[in-house]
Amino acid sequence: MNRQDLKTIAESAKAEHNQFKHKVCVCCGAGCLSSGSEAVLKKLQDEVKARGLDKEIRVVPSGCMGPCNQGPLVKVMPEYAIYQKVNCENIAAVVQSQLVEKRPIEDLLLFADSRPKPYVNAQEDPFFKKQLKVVLKDCGSINPEIIEDYIVRDGYKALDKVLFQMSPEEVIAEIKHSRLRGRGGAGFPTGIKWETVYKYVADQKYVICNGDEGDPGAFMDRSVLEGNPHRVLEGMAIAGYAVGANKGYAYIRGEYPLAIKRFEAAIKSAKKLGLLGANILGSTFSFDIEIRIGAGAFVCGEETALIASIEGKRGTPRPRPPFPAESGLWGKPTLINNVETLASIAPIINKGGEWYSEIGTPKSAGTKVFALAGKINYSGLIEVPMGMSLREIVYDIGGGVPGGKEFKSAQTGGPSGGCIPKEHLDVKMDYENLVSLGSIMGSGGLIIMDDSSDMVDVARFFMEFCMDESCGKCVPCRVGTKMMYDLLTKICNRQGTRHDLDRLEELAVYVKEASLCGLGMSAPNPLLSTLRYYKNEYLAHIERNTTLEGVSHG
Amino acid sequence: MAKIPVTIDDKPLEVETGRTILEACKENGIEILTMCHLEGIGDVGACRLCLVEIEGINKLLPACTTKVAANQVIKTKTERLKKYQRITTELFFAERNHICAVCVADGNCELQDLGYKVGMDHVRFPYLFPQANVDTSHPMYVMDHNRCIMCTRCVRVCSEVEGAHNWGIKNRGIEVRVISDFDTPWGDSTTCTSCSKCVNVCPTGALWPKTVVQGQLVKQPKMVSELVAKRKMNL
Repeated sequence: MNRQDLKTIAESAKAEHNQFKHKVCVCCGAGCLSSGSEAVLKKLQDEVKARGLDKEIRVVPSGCMGPCNQGPLVKVMPEYAIYQKVNCENIAAVVQSQLVEKRPIEDLLLFADSRPKPYVNAQEDPFFKKQLKVVLKDCGSINPEIIEDYIVRDGYKALDKVLFQMSPEEVIAEIKHSRLRGRGGAGFPTGIKWETVYKYVADQKYVICNGDEGDPGAFMDRSVLEGNPHRVLEGMAIAGYAVGANKGYAYIRGEYPLAIKRFEAAIKSAKKLGLLGANILGSTFSFDIEIRIGAGAFVCGEETALIASIEGKRGTPRPRPPFPAESGLWGKPTLINNVETLASIAPIINKGGEWYSEIGTPKSAGTKVFALAGKINYSGLIEVPMGMSLREIVYDIGGGVPGGKEFKSAQTGGPSGGCIPKEHLDVKMDYENLVSLGSIMGSGGLIIMDDSSDMVDVARFFMEFCMDESCGKCVPCRVGTKMMYDLLTKICNRQGTRHDLDRLEELAVYVKEASLCGLGMSAPNPLLSTLRYYKNEYLAHIERNTTLEGVSHG
Repeated sequence: MAKIPVTIDDKPLEVETGRTILEACKENGIEILTMCHLEGIGDVGACRLCLVEIEGINKLLPACTTKVAANQVIKTKTERLKKYQRITTELFFAERNHICAVCVADGNCELQDLGYKVGMDHVRFPYLFPQANVDTSHPMYVMDHNRCIMCTRCVRVCSEVEGAHNWGIKNRGIEVRVISDFDTPWGDSTTCTSCSKCVNVCPTGALWPKTVVQGQLVKQPKMVSELVAKRKMNL
C-alpha cells in the first residue's frame, strides 16, 4: 500500500459511513462487557435488522466512553444521546423512540437517576463538558477491531506525515516542543528521552510500549488499548522512525486479555495494509511489533524489570545507570514509553507541538487520563487538561461523594502515591503540585475516599500491596516493606506504641532512599503522606488504644 | 587508559575511566561495606550496603554498579549512609533465623563481621522467625535457608563461573528462596557438579560441607576470584 491508497481507504470508508443516518455505539470495553453489553449489542443488531433499518443505522461495538459505573452504555450519533444501564429488555424501546420517533427516553438517558434533568446531548453534561479528550478522542466512537474506522478519523495520517515530510530530528523537535511528559508516572520529558535514544549509535534499537499497568484502581492504559489500539500502534511506529528502531515490543499484562486480543488484531490488520512491516507506505522505513504478555508481577512495570522479562529472565529490576536509552533490551538502546504517552503522539504530529503545549500548565502540558474510582457518584475514565483542580474533578465531573458523606481524601498515584486531604481540594493537578503535596501523578489512578475511611488502614492496604509485589531482590524493599506492614497492622489492631511509630517513620525514609527501584523508593509514599496529613489518626490508635468513631476497618 | 579526576571522601584522586566507584575506592584504600558483591562475578546492586552519595545526584547509588565520572564528588561515610548500613544489617539479622551460637560459620561469617563493623549492639526491629527448610539431600553439602540472606552469590557463581545453572530463585518479596533446579532437593539435582564454588562464596553458614561442625567452617571466597582471574590470563 502506498500513500494514495491510504487516502482512498479513508475516502471510501467515509462515503460508506455517510450512507447511514445514525451511528449507534455500544460500549464493549471491559467494564461494560462485564455488565452484559455483548448481549445488548447482539440484541440491538437483531432489532435494527428486524425493523429493516440496517441501511440507515450503523451499529458499532466501541471502546470505553467514560462513565463506567453506568454501563452498559449505548451512544446514538449524531444526536450524542447516551443511554445508561441498557439491557436486552429496553433496547427495543430505545430504537423505537430515539431512532424511529426521534424522541429521547429521558428515564434511560445517562445520569437520569441522579440528575434533576438528564442532558439529551451528553456533551452538555458536566461530566463530559469539563473534559478535553485528546488521547481518548476516538475511544468510544470507533470499532477498535476495524482499521478503516481509525483511518477515517485521520488514523495513520501522522505516520504518513513523519515518513514523507519530516526527518527524525524534526519529529523529535516537534515532540520536545509539545512538552509532553511520560504518562507512566515519573513525568520524564518524552522528547528528551527520544533524543537520547536517537543519539546512541547502534546496529539495532528497540521501542517498547509499557502496557503493564498495575496500580490498584487504574484502568487508563487498558481502556486505550481496548478502545483504540491503532493509536498506540501508530505512536510506536512514529517513535521507531524518530529514534531509529525497526522493532517494537508491546508489553501488556496478562490480566488484560481483551486488550491483548484487540492489539493483536490491530497489528494483523495494520500489517495487511502495509502500515506495519517492511517499507511502510512505500517508504524506506520498516517497523515490526510483537506482543509480550506480562505474567502478573507488578514490578515488571518498572522498565528494567520489564526488559528482563522480555528477555526471558526473572522480572527483577537492575540498578540504573546505565539507562535503557543506552543499554536496554539485549543491551541495545531502547526507548520505553507508556501506553498513554504513545497514544498522545499522533495528535501532536497532526496538530503540532505548539497546539499541545498550550493545553495544561506551563510545566505540565497536555491532558491526563484519570481513572476515577472509589466513593464518587460518577466513576469511570476521564481526560482533563493538566492543571484542573481536584475540586472540579471530584464535584463537577465526578458528581461529588455519594450518600451525603463528606469528602475526606483523594489517593493519587496508586501504591506509589499519596493521599490529598480536604484542605488541598483546590490543588491544580499537575506533576509538580502533586509532588509538593507528598503524592505523585503516577499513572492516573484517582481513588476518592469519604469520611468512613481509616487512613492508617489505607496506608496498610497499599503497604500490603507493595510487600506482596516486592521482587525480593534488594534488602530495603524486601524486608523493609514487610516490617512496615507488620508495624501498621499492629497500630491498626490498637496494639501499637509511640516506639512503633518512630520505627515506622525511620523505616519509611530508609526504604524510600535505599531501595533499588521505583517500587521500593515509592512504597513508603502512602504511609508518609497519611502521616503528614492524618497523624492524629495514628496517634488516636496508639494513645487512646481505640479506633476513631464511625471509622471502619475494611 | 585515560585517568579522570574524582573526589572521594574529600580526597582528590585520579581514577582510570570505566572503573566502578567500588573499584576506585578499593584501589585507594577506602573501605566500602559490601555483601552481594564478589570479585569475579557480576554485580547486582542488591544488598544496598555500598550505597554512596554523589553530589548533584539526588539518589543514593550503589558503588558496585556505578561507574565513576569525571569530577564527581563522592561521599562514602556520611551519617546518613552509616545509619542506613546499620538498618540494612539489622534487617538481615531480623529476616531469617541467624543463631550464631549453633552455626558452622560462627567466627568465620561475613554477616557476623558486618554486625561488628556497623556497631550493631542489638536489633531494633522485631525478628520475623520464618519457617525455613534445611536441605541435607546432597551427599556432600547442606543448604540451610535459615541462614540465607539472598545475596545470590551462589546463583551467580553457579551460572557465570561453573556454568551449571543449578541455583535459581523462586517466589518474590519476603518469600524469596534460593532453589536447586526446579525447586527439587539439591541431592536430586541433575545440573549440580558438586564443585563447591557456591559453598566457598556463601558469606554465611547457609551453604556448608557436611564435614564440619559448629564454628569450624572455613570458606575461600577468593578461590572464585582467583579462578576467574586465571581464566582471563589464559593460563
